[in-house]
Amino acid sequence: MTSTPALPALALHGIDKAFGAVQALTGVELEIHRHEVVALVGDNGAGKSTLAKVIAGVLTPDAGMIESDGVPVSIPSPVAAHALGIATVFQDLALCDNLDVVSNLYLGRELRRGRGLDEATMEETARRVLGDLNARVPSVRVPVSTLSGGQRQSVAIARTLLGEPRIVVLDEPTAALSVAQSAEVLTHIQRLRDMGHAVILISHNMTDVRAVADRVEVLRHGRNNGSFSGPGASYEEIIAAITGATKVATASGDRVSAGPRR
Amino acid sequence: MDAVRRYGGLTQVELAEATGLSTATVSTIVKELTGAGVVDTRPASRSGRRAQMVTLARRLGVVAAVQFGRRRLTVALGDPSREILAEQHMPLPVDHRIDTGLDRAALLVVELLERVGASLDELLTVGVALPAPVDEDTGMISVRGVMRGWDDVHVGQVLTKRLARPVMVDNDANLAALAEHQLGATRSHRDSIFVRASYGTGAGIVLGGRLHRGYAGTAGEIGHVQVDPAGPICRCGNRGCLETVVGSDALLALVRTSHGELTLHDLVQGAVDGDPGCRRVVADAGDRIGSVVANLATALNPRAVVVGGELADTGEVLLAPLRESMRRHLVPNTIAPVEVLASDLGARAEILGALALALAATDLANDGLAVAPSPSTEGDPS
Repeated sequence: MTSTPALPALALHGIDKAFGAVQALTGVELEIHRHEVVALVGDNGAGKSTLAKVIAGVLTPDAGMIESDGVPVSIPSPVAAHALGIATVFQDLALCDNLDVVSNLYLGRELRRGRGLDEATMEETARRVLGDLNARVPSVRVPVSTLSGGQRQSVAIARTLLGEPRIVVLDEPTAALSVAQSAEVLTHIQRLRDMGHAVILISHNMTDVRAVADRVEVLRHGRNNGSFSGPGASYEEIIAAITGATKVATASGDRVSAGPRR
Repeated sequence: MDAVRRYGGLTQVELAEATGLSTATVSTIVKELTGAGVVDTRPASRSGRRAQMVTLARRLGVVAAVQFGRRRLTVALGDPSREILAEQHMPLPVDHRIDTGLDRAALLVVELLERVGASLDELLTVGVALPAPVDEDTGMISVRGVMRGWDDVHVGQVLTKRLARPVMVDNDANLAALAEHQLGATRSHRDSIFVRASYGTGAGIVLGGRLHRGYAGTAGEIGHVQVDPAGPICRCGNRGCLETVVGSDALLALVRTSHGELTLHDLVQGAVDGDPGCRRVVADAGDRIGSVVANLATALNPRAVVVGGELADTGEVLLAPLRESMRRHLVPNTIAPVEVLASDLGARAEILGALALALAATDLANDGLAVAPSPSTEGDPS
């Protein structure tokens, strides 16, 4: 446990992104510390996924600055994001249905031994990572197509852990899952936080968000529209900020203070 | 066995994977266990192939237990031998809503039944643990404000309607006391107190081998004993209750300037890892709780006090000051001083108690350990 973390694991300042005439993000500020779950909430089209893609290196912002541990960086590609220790699980999970759990975990970065693959080590590590998450995946050698939605999400989250990431971005991880599967995923998120990772959770479900988030950041029409302490904020306050019933003045520059605000 | 319990039910091939044993070995073990009546097998299909699904045997039906904590929902299924068949935790928000909570609890019960391959018909009864005093006769929370938004809802009735099964509701500390008395640290004692130091603080009392709930369920509510007449107003409406001093909000406020925003889990983990600030906060809480428990123990003279709840996960960090404080405040009984023990069942005490409550309401609880129904209120109180 770190007391008063000095520098945010990742900080985004004044991020702008436009797609033609559509201004998706305007001067967005976001900070995330280790051992913290930050929820990113907002209406459809508020810019949540765009921001996630900026962090994941899929999109390059038009303007703004990104700092990693206080050092200015640029994230031009997913490979660069991976090098910075940023792992992202997108909504579609990007798993290969026909491959087994181990192959999916190591897709594109298989361990090699001599000319072949080091199946034994990969399988062992796969079991360990899934075990760390307390994931209920009985066999790591079954095709992913046979797994339930919750188990697939577990596999996708476990895959991010293989690269020893500092920051994990989860885009709508509980959408389209049953209650038991959502319970499982939320427990994983708490586990990631306890392991010291910084977690960015994008979700529509206020109950899920308030259950696990240390801080809730609201986006509205591509702008910051409020920042709440997860345990302290009420549903009403957050929803008011999402719908625009309340407007929070966020002139860029007044958000240097770290940690949650009440 | 552990593997079967962990996954609820799985095929023999998966069982071999999960345990690292060969399929032949697994097959032999499963045959033996089936012969002994411990597990059941039935045909299933996995990715088009035929397979043998292995689940724990449950000839007599299952009971469900639901525990609402301040920040966590736990749902478990048990069989009449008090074996937990499947269990699922779910994080909950602060001041979680009753409609969402009960809805999710009901869905989780059904999903867990599916996981162990049981149908809703096999479900006998449901026991529910709430972090608030519950009136046994009506099943309602008997002190307003303790759980925000839960006051006017009949939890038992709502769940009964959803699941079409009898639903029993009780206080979590009471149920933990019951579980420790039946299966845990105070098995051999007739009189004991279970202290639950968690987000809130409560106690369950077992007297003469029976759970003592009090007339309207508020027996043992040590969280609402006044310890500071000039203290802040409590959720319950009184002033300076123990909970305003050792509840999670109070404890986390103490470390906010030094450690930033922590969760109760962080605080407990910090104390376990030896962080001096976290240890001090937990130790001082133990001291305060001990002084209040001492008064309760003076009144009841139990044989032992068992300490559970999240704070008890810090072990002696909480227990040593609590024990010391009790020693100072308790009438010195030379014949048999009160023992202060760590919980045997740990985080599972409440859920096992809820299972026991559910079992007691079935006609299967004939092993002599059943909860003796507390004497019903005779006549009209007025």
